[in-house]
Amino acid sequence: MSKANRPLANKSANKSAVKPAVRPKLGREGFFGRFGYFFGRALANLRQNVFVSVVTVGTISLALLIAALFLLVYVNLEGMAEGWSDKVQVTVYFDKEPVPLAVAALKGRIKAIPGTSKVTFVGQQEAEQRLRGRLKGQEVLLEGITPEVLPASFEISLDRSHRDNTSIAFYVAALRKIQGITEVQYGEEWVKRFNSFMNLFRLIGALLGSFLAVTVLFIVSNTIKLTIYARKDELELLGLVGATRFFIKAPFLIEGVLQGALGGGVALVALLGCYYAFLKNAASFLGVNPAAAGLTFLPVAYLAGVLLGGILLGFIGSVTSLKRFIHV
Amino acid sequence: MIELHNVSMSYQPDAPALHDITLKIDKGDFVFLTGQSGAGKSTLLKLLYADLMPTRGQVLIDGVNLTRIKRSQIPYLRRSMGVVFQDYKLLPNRTVLENVAITLEVLGWGKRDIGKKVFHILKQMGLEDKINSTPLRLSGGEQQRVALARALVNDPKFLFADEPTGNLDEANKEQILAIFRDANVRGTTVVVATHDRRVIEKSHRRVIRLDKGSLLEVADVQS
Repeated sequence: MSKANRPLANKSANKSAVKPAVRPKLGREGFFGRFGYFFGRALANLRQNVFVSVVTVGTISLALLIAALFLLVYVNLEGMAEGWSDKVQVTVYFDKEPVPLAVAALKGRIKAIPGTSKVTFVGQQEAEQRLRGRLKGQEVLLEGITPEVLPASFEISLDRSHRDNTSIAFYVAALRKIQGITEVQYGEEWVKRFNSFMNLFRLIGALLGSFLAVTVLFIVSNTIKLTIYARKDELELLGLVGATRFFIKAPFLIEGVLQGALGGGVALVALLGCYYAFLKNAASFLGVNPAAAGLTFLPVAYLAGVLLGGILLGFIGSVTSLKRFIHV
Repeated sequence: MIELHNVSMSYQPDAPALHDITLKIDKGDFVFLTGQSGAGKSTLLKLLYADLMPTRGQVLIDGVNLTRIKRSQIPYLRRSMGVVFQDYKLLPNRTVLENVAITLEVLGWGKRDIGKKVFHILKQMGLEDKINSTPLRLSGGEQQRVALARALVNDPKFLFADEPTGNLDEANKEQILAIFRDANVRGTTVVVATHDRRVIEKSHRRVIRLDKGSLLEVADVQS
């Protein structure tokens, strides 16, 4: 090392010389005192940069509104599709109608199988009545048909969690193990097609949702980056008058969280407005009665998610943008 | 005390902004840093308040070697300095009071103490009636005095000023120099970078002359 580059003061000397300059007079010690200052500063910043704040909150609101609308449509479509799965039914047929005591015993054993939702016994008489009901006006077709011709059966509805291909296969296998049950039908092809459709629907939903999330993240983080860029002089000055990284960052982060929360709140109010506007007007321009279609608003957990998403967007957007502009 | 030992600084390879500068400024001194545009005055000042690090050599402020301290220590070091920037660096959307208060907020002062101290310094600068104005409503001389108030409000050990009289008329120049003298009398070490010969001649202070990044001469107090 050349003489010129040799350190001229050792580390301990450096420390002892720097430390006396550390905050010669303290008016605000402790977490709450400092948090109070940072919070106040963040509010003052919002006031002093109204235009920039409105642009940021507006962007976050719009981005979250688009995401929330997508969620609302997705949740309702999925609910509708899930409703179709109520048609998934397993039927057990008997060659000879079992005696009432045997019916009760079998019903008990079927109900004991996990995934069973509802078990209904359909005797030969009832089966015949149902057939007559269905062929009303074409009674000629029923000539010669007596209740004995039709088999007695159990109609079994399954829990939602047991309506996929594998679960149904397991369920049917368990049914077949019960003594006295030989013939089981459950519309295997329809179930397979329905489940394939649901998987495709969820995959498309997840893909679209992911693209939307990335887009929202990109737009919001860039907006925040631009707003912080607009205040880079302030960041630079704070560093030059002796502010630490934390001191510079804290009000900006609180500002980001406040803007995110506000953006999330505005998005939810706008979503509620869109929802009720749709309920009120859908009948006239779509010819659909939304009430009858069973449309629902987003569950509370999703609403909390949108609000939290706004807060996170504001916070993460600020953290990543500040990194670029603070050089202390 | 400020010491520079064989300091060189380059923004680009083969184009040194400062070349092998060695000098010493004693505690309580008042010196002018002069030279033509591009001589390296601003670069040298930036080295003193650790906005830049030398590519070679050592810079010591009160025995603290700036090339050796941790980045996280720099803010604490800067709290003992006041800097007047060439472009003032006033925040346009904050009032005069808020602009000056920044220095004390960083130090953790309470709101009431800040109010008193800022009012006191603005009164010294003759700006007490502009306390709630924003910088854009002030004249050049007033803006310069606000920047000075911000630099001096915490009674710094060191005051660095970059072309503080650049765009001012004679009356304003004299007023600014008087403020520097007062600060120096109170014990602040003052380093003023300027290419204004008349200001230097009037002030009768030590002059450090730079030329194309090299130290040309250190002239003692001029009478």
